[in-house]
Formats: sequence, C-alpha cells, structure tokens
Amino acid sequence: MFKYLFLIFSSALLLSSCAKDTPLEVTPDDYNNAVDKVTEVIIHDIFSPPVASRIYAYSNIAAYEVLAQNHPEYSSLAGKLNGLGETPKAENPAVNHDVAALIAQMEMAKSLIFSEDRITEVRDSLYKTWEDQNADELEASKAYGLQVADHIKNWMDGDMYKQTRTMPKFSVNADNPSRWQPTPPAYMDGIEPHWMKIRTFVLDSASQFKPVPPPAFSMDEGSEFHKQLMEVYDVRNEMTEKGDDSEEAAIAKFWDCNPYVSTHKGHLMFATKKITPGGHWIGIVKIATKKNNADLMETVYVYTKTSIALFDGFISCWDEKYRSNLIRPETLINQYIDDSWTPVLQTPPFPEYSSGHSVVSGAAAEVLTEIYGDDFQFDDDTETAYGLPVRSFNSFRAASSEAALSRLYGGIHYRAAIDEGLKQGRQVGQYIVSNLHMKNDGEALSHSGN
Amino acid sequence: MNSITKISLLAFLGLVTFSCSDKPELFTNPDTEKAGISFQNTLTPTEDMNILDYLYFYNGGGLAIGDINNDGLPDIYFSGNQVKNQLYLNKGNLQFEDITETAGVAGKSDWNTGAVMGDVNGDGFLDIYVCAVVGLNGLDGYNELFINNGDGTFTESAAKYGLDLDTFSSSAAFLDYDLDGDLDIYILNHAVHTQSSFGKADLRHERNPQTGDRLMRNDGDRFTDVSEQAGIYGGINSYGLGIAVSDFNLDGYPDLYIGNDFHEDDYYYINNGDGTFTEDLKNHFGHTSRFSMGSDVADLNHDGWPDLISLDMLPQDENVLKSTEGDDNIQTQRLRTDRYGYHYQFTRNMLFINRDGGDYQETALLSGVAATDWSWSALFGDYNQDMQQDLFISNGIPKRPNDLDYIKFVSSDQIQNKINNTALIDQKALEQMPDGVTRNYVYEGSEDLQFKDQSETWIAQDTLVSGATAYADLDDDGDLDLVTNNINTSPTLYINQTNDKATYLKLYLKTPTQNDFALGAKVYAYANGVQQFKELYPVRGFQASSEPVIHFGFGNQKKVDSIRIIWPDRSTQLLKDIATNETLHVKQENTSPFNYATLRPKQQLIFKSVTDSLGLDFVHREDAYSDFDREKLIPYLVGDRGPAVAQGDLNGDGKTDLFFGGSKYIASKIYLQGDSTFVKTDFPGIQNDSINEEVTAVIADFNNDGKNDLMTGTAGGDFYNKARPLLDVLYLNEGDSFIASALPELFENTSVLAVYDYDNDGDLDVFAGSQSVTASFGKLPSSYLLENDKGTFRVAQEFKELGMVTAAVWDDFDGDGKADLIAVGEWMAPTFLKNEGTKLKIVSKTKDGLEGLWQSIIPFDIDGDGDIDYVVGNWGENSKFQASAESPMKMYYSDFDNNGQTETIVATAKDGNYYPLMGLDALASQVVSLRKKYQSYRDFAGQNIEEILSEEQLKNSKILNVNTLKTGYLQNNGNSFDFVPLPRDLQVAPVMAFCLFDFDGDGNDEVLAGGNYFGVQPFHGRLDSFTGALIESDSNITSGEKLGLNFAGKSIRDLSVIHLNGKAYLIATPNNEKIQLYQLKR
Repeated sequence: MFKYLFLIFSSALLLSSCAKDTPLEVTPDDYNNAVDKVTEVIIHDIFSPPVASRIYAYSNIAAYEVLAQNHPEYSSLAGKLNGLGETPKAENPAVNHDVAALIAQMEMAKSLIFSEDRITEVRDSLYKTWEDQNADELEASKAYGLQVADHIKNWMDGDMYKQTRTMPKFSVNADNPSRWQPTPPAYMDGIEPHWMKIRTFVLDSASQFKPVPPPAFSMDEGSEFHKQLMEVYDVRNEMTEKGDDSEEAAIAKFWDCNPYVSTHKGHLMFATKKITPGGHWIGIVKIATKKNNADLMETVYVYTKTSIALFDGFISCWDEKYRSNLIRPETLINQYIDDSWTPVLQTPPFPEYSSGHSVVSGAAAEVLTEIYGDDFQFDDDTETAYGLPVRSFNSFRAASSEAALSRLYGGIHYRAAIDEGLKQGRQVGQYIVSNLHMKNDGEALSHSGN
Repeated sequence: MNSITKISLLAFLGLVTFSCSDKPELFTNPDTEKAGISFQNTLTPTEDMNILDYLYFYNGGGLAIGDINNDGLPDIYFSGNQVKNQLYLNKGNLQFEDITETAGVAGKSDWNTGAVMGDVNGDGFLDIYVCAVVGLNGLDGYNELFINNGDGTFTESAAKYGLDLDTFSSSAAFLDYDLDGDLDIYILNHAVHTQSSFGKADLRHERNPQTGDRLMRNDGDRFTDVSEQAGIYGGINSYGLGIAVSDFNLDGYPDLYIGNDFHEDDYYYINNGDGTFTEDLKNHFGHTSRFSMGSDVADLNHDGWPDLISLDMLPQDENVLKSTEGDDNIQTQRLRTDRYGYHYQFTRNMLFINRDGGDYQETALLSGVAATDWSWSALFGDYNQDMQQDLFISNGIPKRPNDLDYIKFVSSDQIQNKINNTALIDQKALEQMPDGVTRNYVYEGSEDLQFKDQSETWIAQDTLVSGATAYADLDDDGDLDLVTNNINTSPTLYINQTNDKATYLKLYLKTPTQNDFALGAKVYAYANGVQQFKELYPVRGFQASSEPVIHFGFGNQKKVDSIRIIWPDRSTQLLKDIATNETLHVKQENTSPFNYATLRPKQQLIFKSVTDSLGLDFVHREDAYSDFDREKLIPYLVGDRGPAVAQGDLNGDGKTDLFFGGSKYIASKIYLQGDSTFVKTDFPGIQNDSINEEVTAVIADFNNDGKNDLMTGTAGGDFYNKARPLLDVLYLNEGDSFIASALPELFENTSVLAVYDYDNDGDLDVFAGSQSVTASFGKLPSSYLLENDKGTFRVAQEFKELGMVTAAVWDDFDGDGKADLIAVGEWMAPTFLKNEGTKLKIVSKTKDGLEGLWQSIIPFDIDGDGDIDYVVGNWGENSKFQASAESPMKMYYSDFDNNGQTETIVATAKDGNYYPLMGLDALASQVVSLRKKYQSYRDFAGQNIEEILSEEQLKNSKILNVNTLKTGYLQNNGNSFDFVPLPRDLQVAPVMAFCLFDFDGDGNDEVLAGGNYFGVQPFHGRLDSFTGALIESDSNITSGEKLGLNFAGKSIRDLSVIHLNGKAYLIATPNNEKIQLYQLKR
C-alpha cells in the first residue's frame, strides 16, 4: 500500500516540477490512503478495539469539520456531538479545504497513535509535493487544517481518555464462578475496564441502550445458560468434524478482527496482528464509497458517520461488558467439560457479554444502510492482506449479522451475547441515524450500486 | 574465622600478582584445535527441524568427562544434536585424541542430548549413557548405553539392559537410590508440545510414556522401570531440564531435585528409604525458578547441608532485561497458584540454602546470583582453592525468542499466517530474531554466601553459546578445569591457573560393590577449624557429568586435620593428618557403621507448637483489594498491613484477653480468657464496625474509669478522602458492652498507636502514626500526637513531614525521666522526637543517611552495655530493591502525565546510572506519553531515569530516598546512636515484628523477630525466607527453625506473649493466615 502511495506522490512530483502554482488536489483515494495508513499504524502499535475506534473517529471528524465549512449541503458537527463547540472558519481565502481536511486528519491521527514517524513520513512527503506545486496554498491550508485539529484536540481532551489511563485495573474475582477471568494463552488483564466513562458522541450515556442481562449463570443441565454454553462446545465439535474448510470456519476466521493474537511455541512467542472490528467496518466504508464513486466530501462524510457509530457502539458495549462481567466459554469448558478444548478463535481479553463485534457491526451497518440503502451488494476484500478470502454480501445488515454469528463459530461468545449484542448495536446505530443529521437534504445518498 | 579472611586475602593477593596482563586471571583457553579436539556441535535448522518444530532446538549437546581407560587422565565425551558424538582420549599435557571410531561410540540417534558416565556393570570401567529425542518430526534412534570393554572399545548395549528408551530425553543421572550397591538411573524427559492453557497441576499424576521421567532400577543384567511404584511423576507437562542428586535431608538415601521448564513445578523427591520417593516441594521451598534449567548442589556455608542453585533466564544487562519478556503479572500468577495448583515460580535463578533439611532459604538476590541471562549449566567448585565454593554458569542462545520487539512488532509481518497454515517458519523470519549470545559467568564464593562476579577477571569474555559444562582436572595439576559444549563453535577448555598458588586435595574413591566409583559417598574435610563437605555425584549442571572426583581447596594450608568419608553403604572411615596437594585413591576399608542420626541438627527447642489449642482459632483473611490495581507503579502494597493484635483485660476478671483486627468487611475478633481456654466473644459495639480494617490496636483504660477500653487504628489503603472507615476508633468499656466514642476526625491510613502519658497529667495520650495517603503513594501523610483530657482526645501536635510511619515506640532516650518517641517508617530515617512535656521535638540523634524501608522497632540493650539500644527491622537485602549510602534507591513521585493522578517510579543504581525497576509496558500504562517517546523496546532498554523522564517531569518530581535496607540496631553511645547492621540471616526478608520476653527462661530478656512480606511485584519473587530469629545479644542470634518456630513462608505481623494458667505462650500472627500458638518450654 505504502509503495503504491509513494508511486503516486513521486509521479505527482515529476509533473509538478515544471508547473508553478497549480491548484492542489486531494482525491478520495488520497483520503482512503490516509485512513489506510491510520489502520496500518493502529495494527503496528497494537491498539485495542475501543481505543482504535477513538483514533478513527477523531481523525475523521477533524477532516469532516474542515470540509463541511466548504460544503453548504453538509453541516458542522458542532453542537451535535457532545461538547463540540463551533469549528473555526477559514479566514484566508487561499485555504484549500480539501488539503486542509487531509492535514487535519493526519494531525489528529499523529497525536492519537504512538508511532508518529509512520504518519509524518507520509505527511512530509505530501507537504513536499504540495509545496512544489503551490506553496502559498499549502501554507494557508496547513495553518487552517492545524487550527481545526487544535480545536478538535481541545474538545477531545475532555473525553476522559487521559483520566481512564490511570484508573484502577480490572480486578479479577476468581471466587465467583460466573465472573470473567483472564484466558489462555496470554492471560492478559481485562482491557479498558473504564471505557464506559469515555464521553459518548451522540448517545446520552453509555448505558442508554443497556441490553437485557445475559441468561443467569448456572451450570445446571437444562438451564438456559448451560444450554448456550453447550452450544458453543457442540458447534466447535461439529466444525472439527467438518474440517477446516467448513463455511462456519470461514466465517469465524473472516471476522476474527483480533488485533493481537498471541502464539506460544515453547519459549518462542509470536503475535499475529490484524485489524480491529472497527477497522474492518472502516474498510467496508472504503469499499462502499469507492463503489458509489463518492467524491472527497462524501467519502469523508461516510467515514465520519460510520466511525461515530463505531465509537459510541464500543462505549455502549463496554458499559455492559464490565457490568455483567461474564465468564468466557473457554474458561468454563476447560474447567468443567474438556480441559484441552480450545476455541477456533483466540478469546479476546475482556468479559463476554455483550459481543463487541456484534454491537459495533450492528451500529455501523445501520448508519451505512441509512446512507446507501438496505440493498447494497459489495465484495468485502478488507481481510485479504491477512491471508483471508473475499466474502460477498447483499447488504450491510447481512454483513453485520454474519459478523455477529462469527463469534459463535469462533467459540468465543454464547448465543445471547450475539443476539442481544446485535440488537444493542442496531439500537445505537438507529439512534445515531435519527439524531445525528449531517446533511441538510437528508442523509441518504443515491448510489450507483447494483 | 579470622584465618579464613586471611586466607582469602592471601589468595586474593596471590591473584593480584598475575593480574597485570590482559589475560584472564584464573582460567585460560587453549586452542581447542591444537589440543586435538575437532568436535563441534553444528546446528543446521531445516524446514522440518527448527525452533518452531522443536522448542528445545537450541538446548545443545551433552558432555561427560571421566577416565575411560583408567590411566589417571580424564577423557572427554561430547554428544552432538545433529552431529555424531565424539570421544577424546586424554594423552596428557592437554593433548587429546579422537578415538570415536575405534571406540565405537559415535551413536546412532538423530538427535542426541545429555551424556553421562557411570559404571553400570561394576567392572571398574566407566560406561557412557547418551540420551536422545526420538519420535519428534521423524527423529529416529534411542537412548544408547555404551558399555566399556576395558580395551578402548565399547559395545552399545542399551537394549540388552532395558535402557533403550525412545522418548524425549534431556539427560539422565546415575544414583543408587535403594542402596543395594549398584547404579540405578533416573532418566529426565521433557514435553515437546506447547500448552496454550496452564492446565491443572495434577496432570502430573497421569503418566505419559514420551514425556514422563523414568526411574530405572538396576536388577543386575537389566534395568526395571519402577517409576510408578517409586512415586515418580510422569505427566504430560513435565519439561525436565535440570536434575540434581543429593542426600538433601542427610538420611543416607539419595534425594532428587528435578527442574521443570515453564509452569510445571520443580519436583523435590525425598527418598523414603523403602524404594519410594515423596515429592514434597511445597513443604520445603517457598518459591522456585520458573523456567528452570540446569542446577547444582554443594554445601556453600560449611554447615554440612547441601545447598542448591536452580537456573533460569533473567538477564542482568539493562539492554536485554528491558527488551525481553519478564515475569507474569500478579493476576496471572495468582491464577496459576490459586486456581491451577502450581507453586510460586519466578523468572530468575534461585539459590536455596538448606536449613537443616527443613525449609530452604532462598537468597539469590541477596547473594548476587539471581540474573545470569539465558543460563544452562551451574557448576559449584572451589576454582581458586580458597576453601569457598565458586560458581560457573554457562550461557547463551543463538536466537532470543522472548525479545519483545520481535514478539510484538517483527513477528507479525514475518510470520503472518505461516504458523497455522504450513507449520513452517521462514529462515528469514528467524533471522530477524535477535541473538542471545551472552558471556559465561563465574562468581567467587565467600563464606557469608555473597558471590562476587569475577567474569571479567577470571575468564575471557566469550561470545559463544555454551551449554553443557563439566569439570575435571584435565592437566592433572590439582585444580579444577572446565569444559563447555558450545553451539556452532568448538568446545571451550577452561584451564585453571591456580596451580601452586593454593593447595588442594583430590580424592578418588573405590568401593567393593558394583557401585565401585562410590556414587553417593560423602566426604568431609576439616582443616583449620573449617568443615568442607562434598558428595560424589558426577551428574550435575546440565546434560553433563563431571569427573567422578572429590576436590577440595585449602588456601595455603599444608595439612588437613582429618577427612571423614561416609560410604554409600552407611559405613564410615576417618583419615587423619593428610598433606595437601595430593591425589588420594581411597579404598573402602577399616570402616565402622555410621549413624546418620548424628547429623541431625542439635536443636534447643524452646517453642513447642500448640496451634489450634486454647480455643484460639483466629484466622486472618486479607480482603481482595490490591493497591496495584489502582496505583500500578507503587513499589509495594499498603492495603495489607494488618491485622492488629492487642491484649489486655476487657471484662474485668483480671485475665488477659485478646483482640485481633479484621480486614475490610471482615469483623475483628475478641477472645476472652477463661479458666483453661479462650472463648471467642462478640461485642456488637466493636464487631459491627466490620467495614474497618484494623491494623493496630491498644487495650488500656483511656478514661480512667478503672475499666480497659479499646482503641483501634484503621487503614487498608482502599478508603480515601473523608471515608469514615479511615477514622480510628475509641471503644469505651461500659461494663458489658463497648460504645464507640469520638476521636478527632483524622482520615488517615493509621499504622501505629503508641500510648503514653507524655504530659504527665495522669491519663494516657496517644501517638497516631500514619503510613500512606490512599491513591497518592509518595505523598507524606500526617501523623498526630493526641492529648487525652479525661477520655476526650484532641490533636496536640500534627507532624506533616515526619514521613510514612510504620512503627513507633515511647522510650526515654535522653534519660530525663520522660519517655520520648522514636518513629520509624518507609522512605524515612528512624526519627527521634524528644518529649518536652507539652510537645514533641524532632532531635538529631543519628548520623544522616539512615533512610530505609523500616518496619519495626523495639528498645533492647542488645550489646549488653547497660543502656538501651533500639533494634530496627528494615526491608532486608534479598529483593530487587538495592540501596546504599553511595547509591540510594530513589522514588520519583509526581503526576507525570498531568491527569490529576500521581504516580511513583522507583529506580535503583546500576553502574552509576539509575534505571527504573519496571519495564516500558508497566510505565507506559500509566505515563502514556512514553509510548510515543519509545516506539520499540530496544529504544527504551538501557535508558536511565533521567533519559526516560523529560527535564520538566524530573523537575516536578519529588524524590524520596532509601539509603539502607539492612535490619540492625541503633547502638546507644550516650548522646547519639550509631546504626549497626545485624547478620545476614536477618537480611533475607523484611523484619516486621518484634517481641521482648525471656523466652528461654535464663533470667534475661531476648528479642524475638519475625517477618516476611509478599505484597510485591513478581520480579522480586516472594520475600518468604525469614524463619524468625531470637536475639539474645548482638553476637548471639539463633534462627527460628532451630528453636521450634515455623515462620518460613508466613508474613508475621505481630508477636505477643500471653499467660494462661501460669504458662507462657507465644502468639505469632501472620497476615492472611491462621495464627500460630507456641508453648514456651521453660
């Protein structure tokens, strides 16, 4: 990907060497590339899914806020997202809003990730190109882009992220058999136990769409909980019989979206790193906007609204996770049924209920459905970079349903977490659909689709 | 004693005289090739065989040294993993001849591991047993037994003897476990799979033929597998890498210590003498190494009991330490011990000092041998012949698979999906893994169990990967030479140059039995009042056996007073007046029966355990709150300082009753003394306050109504701000009940309530000391002087800067007739507060620089000069904390990331720079900006604290210091006090409780000390090795286990003496355990 980007820039460089002061141009693909870069750094730096959703959201919002100033059919998010004040307007007429938007996105991304070099490298190469083309326009756009980024940062500063870093670790209560415990092989601490304290964008509160409680914990045969536990166990066994090529296995692996799968071989340890569930939906945004031949404004709009849904979805989900604090199937199956049982996917390090992928997929799919309709066929090649095949879907909701179900096949969630999680996510998404209006003429976009 | 110092001094001077060149001082390395040795254990990773396919791909070959042709010169046998084994005949003058072909010992197995020598058939010639890994990825072969024909040739006879195992063998050891006069063999096997989940510890009970260890009994012409009937574990999880044979409990029967890699516990097999063993690790070891590798046994402290080292893989070098995976976090650790049933294990070398066959005292950190990186073999030996055991440790791994950058950043790109899909790893991916080549270590031993790292002077700085190591006197000059089998390079010969600078004795033993080399014989040498003790077990270190010789060094002694040999058949023989610098060939003759009972320790038991009697069944349970969950970087817990213990008559019957505090939400308990027992009695007025965590308490009449009241000091580290449970409580005695009466509202984590009528107005005043501020560790809490006015208390004085007080005592240190106060605490010096009648004034009574982590204080004339000294308990020196006056330990305290929550970072000095004890992950979890500053672990590793923190962060930090961690006493010199450290036994763990009483009934009071503490990060291990001590005087201190006390592994917080029916009892109260009760045998 990076090579490809580099090629574009170098050819741009060649072209620009003879032409002075050409207007700068930012294509939708330039923006896609910048988002891909963010995804790449998120993977490298190993951000957990909730934290990754925050990186996507604030960087896209910054770009959106710049562009919306220049597109009367779109409105600023000021006053619409909790705590976001008026975005400064560009005073210098030389400002190119497209350029400023990309700069704002990169600046936000840089401040949100760890490996800054990986962003600044790309940024500086863009700056160089732009400078050669039109230094004045760059200067003005840069100043404005950074100004908006500053504005967003100041707002972001109040979202409790910083405070939650030093809040208490999640303490495991091993005496209560229903409570979550760290899982093999890395036995990591429960991640982000205070994520529900992060300020939401659109939701009133983290608990606004609190799902019904999970089935009451019981290891009695015949209890609902025990039935659902045995379903996880049985599904895994059936899959083993069917072999690696089963559809269930394909679904489980396709939607794994575990940013850090740790493999132990004796003293040797490896990480297999992938995109997060949010990252997967960000990838779907790219596929959808490209398919719709979206312009830059539309592209950024769809990224932004989807990442807002993902962000609030994670907060809603994490609120429930550390409320119900439910034990993972792997722990129980190892303890009561089969001590050598392993799930198809590695169990991620946080409580079981509700399923994060189900919630955020549900939320993202609602927003995308609102924009592009319920009848949107797409070929999802988001995971090909990780050695996984392309899967095709007839709608965003179909994709989200499959993503949710993948957790059962993966052996990491009970049925209730999937069903209720999807419901919870759809409620989050629908709430955003009804309450966050970003386009003045209605949110739906005609799509060139099928 | 003195003479030994003199000897070491002489030896030292001797060494200095030839240290002028750059050559290593003790061992030189002659060219192996020129010595005639062309063996090289070359490893060739292939697609089917590499570190991914076989987890022990880099464990290296084996090595056995012994005189196979009985010409007086030890010969060398190397086993190779993928290359053929080779046997070298020692021709003298350090010349060797490869006789592999004619001897017929090249071996047939595809993958050889350990190699050991022993005379299996008792014909006087050493045979060779070579282990193999068989059945993994098509590896063929079996463990081979080369029977020595006595003519320079060998006949492979494993099948004939029933020893042709085709399992995953690491090594083997010969021993005569049933004392029937022939050599049996213990075969050490290892699992090859990777356990993704821990699995329960009892998996070890289920025997797995490939991975389980085997005990094979010699039945004459065949060996019989007696593993099961002998009680040897053979589970799927045994990753056996270390084996040590020794009569650990000195009953004449050989015992075993088996070191297991990963989460499986090590095994401590005690020989029952009836053909069976009992695995008893948990009852003798407080904790062990985690990734246990090689081990060795020797009596290090001349007490006649075998001590033990077990190696692990903790790096010393900051650059490596901070870029490799360290210990598990506390929660994972707890999961492994509490839920899965494993013992406490920590990633570092462990040095176990045998305490009379009972509990081992683990002192690797104190002794300086805890971290020697990726360590394989440990060999004790008196290499400089100064009468002290030195230590050689071989090191290194071609690829370091626990490199954090590799795990987190490199591996993903390289290996993506390959593992699951093809079970293959590219060569390219392996190349990205950093190498783990580290130098070998050599330590100079001393009689006080301190080991001095002499690697830079005694040996050349190698860049090799050395594994199996063996010692022998290769050049027959009397000193111990060493050989290491290396990976991908020639073996290294370490030729000892002690030569005539110090004297020695070498003993070769002969019995008339089939065990003709006398394996298991014990040899004691007495010279100049010093006892040295050795056992003849050639298998030691790692995958190797050394020359079957007993070697002693004697400094400059020309003569040894006597040598006592205890033969394997429990007979003994005494040799007298032996000249040193001799090689003795001793035949078992003129023996007399030996009574092993004479080796039992002579105990002067003055405490008799009567726990569970007298109705005293108090069990303290700590609540689940952990300060580390909230303040992740603080150096130790603060919420686990209870329970309070107080005694006094609560019901006015003239008998002393007992109060025990509870932890958060667990009620305190009161035991009233009856006629013959104590009766647990509820006083709702007190016990309803179960939310309070009482850590200190006093029973006294505070309102002068003739009835005793109860005052409790509460803490717990969890409650904060103005939480009511932080308020201390005065419960006034109303006859039948107790009613809480108001004390000044001081919301502090109280640590001590010290009572005295300081203003001489006829009622008891209180000093209330505070230990920490909840959620802001590092901030100094206020302590208070509370003045009593007829049962109503007011704050007479607030001490804002006194420090983090843990204990205080009223005592008249200036002889003006009024008791003054001495307060001790953490990150502060013992502080003297003079009683001026109306207030206390801090006065200077000691030299500066006594900041410590003080835990306890008691007035006692320890030097017997008639004035009162103060014995002060400190943290001890057996943890990762290190402090001295020159290089104090520092704690940086600040809100480093400006988020309203303070953090602390503890740093200790290494080579003049200060490095944080914690790694990047821990620090960055709290100070997130460090993640941006350091994008790789390599960038972070080696950074000192001044580089890690920004100038502004440093400027805004408050720094707290610790200058000494030693427990000792403040010696009264009239107007001032000098700090005098107490001996080593009192430095192995925090000393947390004292009690003054005439315990032995000799008419003089002694001080009894107890301690240990577990509220620390796993990199410290567990500070569990203090067995208690009875201090009669500064020169007369007796360890608790010799007196009948059982304090090892318990964190003792209070020691109290009570009387019942005219008898005196000691109550020892640990944190989170049942109390111990001892009757005093006076």
